[in-house]
Amino acid sequence: MVKTRNRPKRLDGFQRLFLLLVICMIILLGYILSNIPGGTLGLEDTVAEFQDRSGVESPVTAVLLNFRAYDTMLEVVVLLLAVIGAWSLTKSPLPGQVADISPIQMGVVRLLAPVMCLVAAYLVWQGSHLAGGAFQGGAILGAAGVLILVSDFPQIHTISALSLRIGLVLGPLFFVGIAFCCLFFTGDLLGYPEETAGWFILLIESACALSIGVTLAALFAGSRPESGVQKKQPAVKQSPDRGNS
Amino acid sequence: MNVDNPTWMIIPILLPLTAGLLCFLFHRKTFAIVLSAVLANFMAACFLTGQLLTFGHMRYSMGGWQAPLGITLRTDGPAVLMLLMTGVTGLAITLYARGYFSFRIDDPGRTERHQHQQRYFWPLWMLLLSGLNGLFLSNDIFNLYITLEIIGISAASLAALSGKPAALLASFRYLLTSLLGSLTFLLGIVFLYKSCGVLDLDLLRNLTEHGPGVRAALALMSVGLLLKTALVPMHFWLPPAHANALAPVSAILSALVIKGSFYLLFRLWFEVFASAITTAALNVMGTLGSVAILWGAIQAIRQHRLKLMVAYSTVSQLGYLFIAFPLSRTADNAQVWSIVIFMAMAHACAKSAMFMSAGTIFLHFGHDRIRDLTGVRASLPITVFAYGIAGVTLMGLPPSGAFIAKWLLLSSALASSQWWWALVIVAGSVMAMIYVFRVISRFIVIPEGFSSQKLGYHSRLLEWPALALAMISLLLGLAAPWPLHILARGSHDLTQILPGGLP
Repeated sequence: MVKTRNRPKRLDGFQRLFLLLVICMIILLGYILSNIPGGTLGLEDTVAEFQDRSGVESPVTAVLLNFRAYDTMLEVVVLLLAVIGAWSLTKSPLPGQVADISPIQMGVVRLLAPVMCLVAAYLVWQGSHLAGGAFQGGAILGAAGVLILVSDFPQIHTISALSLRIGLVLGPLFFVGIAFCCLFFTGDLLGYPEETAGWFILLIESACALSIGVTLAALFAGSRPESGVQKKQPAVKQSPDRGNS
Repeated sequence: MNVDNPTWMIIPILLPLTAGLLCFLFHRKTFAIVLSAVLANFMAACFLTGQLLTFGHMRYSMGGWQAPLGITLRTDGPAVLMLLMTGVTGLAITLYARGYFSFRIDDPGRTERHQHQQRYFWPLWMLLLSGLNGLFLSNDIFNLYITLEIIGISAASLAALSGKPAALLASFRYLLTSLLGSLTFLLGIVFLYKSCGVLDLDLLRNLTEHGPGVRAALALMSVGLLLKTALVPMHFWLPPAHANALAPVSAILSALVIKGSFYLLFRLWFEVFASAITTAALNVMGTLGSVAILWGAIQAIRQHRLKLMVAYSTVSQLGYLFIAFPLSRTADNAQVWSIVIFMAMAHACAKSAMFMSAGTIFLHFGHDRIRDLTGVRASLPITVFAYGIAGVTLMGLPPSGAFIAKWLLLSSALASSQWWWALVIVAGSVMAMIYVFRVISRFIVIPEGFSSQKLGYHSRLLEWPALALAMISLLLGLAAPWPLHILARGSHDLTQILPGGLP
């Protein structure tokens, strides 16, 4: 696969055969998929049945953060693992520092970043009844972080390595902490008390959105911070915005 | 919590997970965190075994949501034996890793780099351990996919940790292969969910009808898992990735990570979709397994570097696990389970001991060219002893656990008149003898006028964990009735005998 990209050469016989086989397999799989008898199969009805006990109105959020919250907890850990893996490899300052950043860019980012944080907070809040949630909110936060990174604000150099790590670990750790709390109080791991389930979910989502935002921005920066003075990540500083919303 | 409470089974998952997060957060006292997590994990595995023996199968519904809606975990015989295997091996590897890293950090010159390696090793290893335990315990196919992701990403990061260009290249290839395997598995889940509408393994097992959708799903998931397990045509990524990693990482990858995907594959084939498996499919697996045994052994004999040889022997040993597939048509499920579980446990202990010994030798001599490793015994007697004992297990001599597994394989192959598998097993053992003795003879023979190298600082943690694991793998055969008892206890719903006759 890499070879073909490196050398713009015509495919040889083996590659053509391989391509043909892959196409045949895709057609076969598509045929099988389209011929699976649809209908009543699936868990939508079950989810709808238990919806009012989940503490949220959106079925997607109910599945992600309540019925299958364990999956989401591990999924958040997978995101963190990506950062740990990247950090274990390289240590360098931000690549390709722009020599002079135009004042227009600085001004736009100054305006946009707070708005994006607000939108992220709103998306997390909206997750309880409409489309939205931690991953969407976190993606917006991450985008805000990327904007600030490419604009090279001086403040991002003052963030300490520890606070950056706290930002990364907060979501997963909070999730696990809530899981243990639930175990302690209700006897079920991640079994929220029914009347306050919505609040638990909102808390977890907020913490996870923050961590996902930091994770995405850290992955964009791509390398671990030098010990001592820092090179990245703004989202930590803007987290209080979310609490207010 | 009472002792019969199924909630205990979350401990082996959540404890290493928390420990991993804390290790990443704090840079001090990480070894204390890791050691307590690994010890607690081992004790939890023992406790769950006792619980299984006393109370039988356990189910735990996450968050109190029952099966079709929520995620369930369960313990049964194979699961707790794999947990025990992971617990014991994980404990030894953790201790060895401590000795390994402190040895390298004491080496002046590259202290900072080795400190950094150690700092990232602990969280990655803890999260990997939690993913493995999650895989062994999970009873939900989508949750299994997520544990595979955790295992795949942390394993690839661990393989890259040494930072050498060869290791980076190998681990990148490993990452891509592993992701391809995961995504194929995920595609299989899509087909499965579309056809059956449930994700819980127990509910999937109860479905009697296996349409083309389920068959396609099974094929996709099997290929994905085979890619991760490195069965022969798909083993290309394994030797470079395992041989170029740091020694504790090689031990983890070869002993545990491979077993995770194999265990899942085996569970899918022999428990969940047992009635959809055809004789032809079983024979294909057996054939690939035979090719793996022979090809891996030939490659191992041809290698000039110790770690590459050990890595190729993993390719070879994996083949035995797959030979058990076609024999399942005549043996009952409990017997097949006991064969693969024995083989997996013995191989996990022996192979990690071997990689640890190879790593110790590499640390002290600065290279692992087999030709130049003459007389190592004089400098590192315990390490060489551990290597030799582990070699006994790889050859399958009594009283090792591998002997029991091979004995069971041979007897069921002959009992079902499938003698060709027996031939492959014997040939593989003879070839294992060649590649083990080729190295051992170098280690042991001290030529005339040979002056042993004086070693400086020397940590016991580098030698004793390997020896302990090697001894466990050797004595596993003597303790054979005990794991069989656990399996029997777990197998009251594994009694379904596979359809199909002789070829």
